[in-house]
Amino acid sequence: MQAGALGGMFHSGPDASSTSSPAGGGGGCSGGGSSMAAAAAGAGPAAPPRAPAPRAPPPLARAGGRGAGRALSRELARRHLGAEAAGGHRDEGGRLAVCPVPPAMLSRLLLRAAPAALRSLPPPGAVGVLHATRPLHTTQQSLAPLPPLPEKGGEVRHGLIPEEFFQFLYPKTGVTGPYMLGTGLLLYFLSKEIYVINHETVAAACILSVIIYGVKRFGSDVAAFADKLNEEKVAKALAVKNEAIKDLETAIELEKKEQWRVEGRSYLFDAKRNNIAMLLETNYRERLLMVYNEVKKRLDYQVAMQNLKRQKEQDHMIQWVEKNVIQSITPQQQKESIAKCILDLKALSKSAQAAV
Amino acid sequence: MAGRRAAIKAIDWAAFAERVPPNQRAMFNALKTRSDALSARLAALPEKPPTIDWAHYKAAVAKAGMVDEFQSKFSALKVPEPKDTQTAKIDAQEAEAAKSTAEYVQASKARIAQYEQQLQKLKSMIPFEQMTFEDLHDAFPETKLDKEKYPFWPHKPIADL
Repeated sequence: MQAGALGGMFHSGPDASSTSSPAGGGGGCSGGGSSMAAAAAGAGPAAPPRAPAPRAPPPLARAGGRGAGRALSRELARRHLGAEAAGGHRDEGGRLAVCPVPPAMLSRLLLRAAPAALRSLPPPGAVGVLHATRPLHTTQQSLAPLPPLPEKGGEVRHGLIPEEFFQFLYPKTGVTGPYMLGTGLLLYFLSKEIYVINHETVAAACILSVIIYGVKRFGSDVAAFADKLNEEKVAKALAVKNEAIKDLETAIELEKKEQWRVEGRSYLFDAKRNNIAMLLETNYRERLLMVYNEVKKRLDYQVAMQNLKRQKEQDHMIQWVEKNVIQSITPQQQKESIAKCILDLKALSKSAQAAV
Repeated sequence: MAGRRAAIKAIDWAAFAERVPPNQRAMFNALKTRSDALSARLAALPEKPPTIDWAHYKAAVAKAGMVDEFQSKFSALKVPEPKDTQTAKIDAQEAEAAKSTAEYVQASKARIAQYEQQLQKLKSMIPFEQMTFEDLHDAFPETKLDKEKYPFWPHKPIADL
């Protein structure tokens, strides 16, 4: 990435300044650029100085070290400026060596770009997915609560090698670069017997193959099972929390309801007072009624008494008169009255016969 | 007499019934039946008793002066209104109830504030997936293991496991 950054700057430099550079110029520039990048790596504090052996012309290759790197770049630039504008001579490495770049600009770019590029690198210990790194210690403040950890770890190829390594080598070596490096390293270790093949190697091979087969076949199932266990734990905790929230809300509602209930206490006392008033009123009316009834009773008694007396007197008088009259009738008068009645009857019967 | 009528306020029994909590329903029913019985009794009695026909009695009763005497005494008679001894007690009860109500409402509001606070804490918690154990102990202090009191694992009495 360091090279990429610098290379990018180098690419933009010539593109801005060149008027009609042929495509080869770009290729030559990249060739020159990579060598200059290597030289700039020598200029940077972290990267070790690497002799640009396969690319630069042999006499310059022998020069090494920091200061020599800078001189080297200047030499190269001077050399390449001298070449023809259109087309260019091919290097022994098959690379076009035309690079119409002013040397002063290159050196300035080197001096300025190196530290800036190094600072823009993500810190080496960063845990992050390829495309989203966790910002640790980027500002003075400390974040609380901490931002959540990323869901997945960094991407990895073949289970061992981080993807960043492939991306790091891609601009210079393309897709096959890291594999070539790996193969070369392996062959180097084997051929130089830095790693010795013995019986342990066979054992390691068997064990590793079994392990890898097991992981590949059962890995996802075990992961799913473990995830399920965790899910259950979290779900239980969540259920507890939700229930607590619900309980609190109902408790609050109940309290509010009780407060509302209590507001209706006036009804109770009104009802009580009403009852009392009703009782009093009833009592009063009953008293009035009682007075009236008593007085009326007495007056009626008097009237009834009078009537009764009157009645009794009348009856008695009638009876007495009758009794006296009957006593006064003598037997002589009785005989006379009977004869008279018979004569009257005869006369009446005669008139009655005549009428019929 | 007419002024006494106003003492009887119309009570909305339905609204009253709404506010009665379920554990006091029996008392409320008793009160209501008593009230209804009283109002029925009151309605059965006429407001004024019928007037006595003095002229008729004057003509009917022979005894002189008796009816007049009755009449004069009757109109002079003033039926005393029954004394109201209980309303003061009711008012005292009401005042006391108001006081205890105020206290209860106060306590209730304090409880509500407490609940609200807890609710707020629960709602603003970070989700469990993003918590560390430290965060969990901060949010729920009862989950914290007392390592001073029980220095050896499992840091709580075995019975609590």
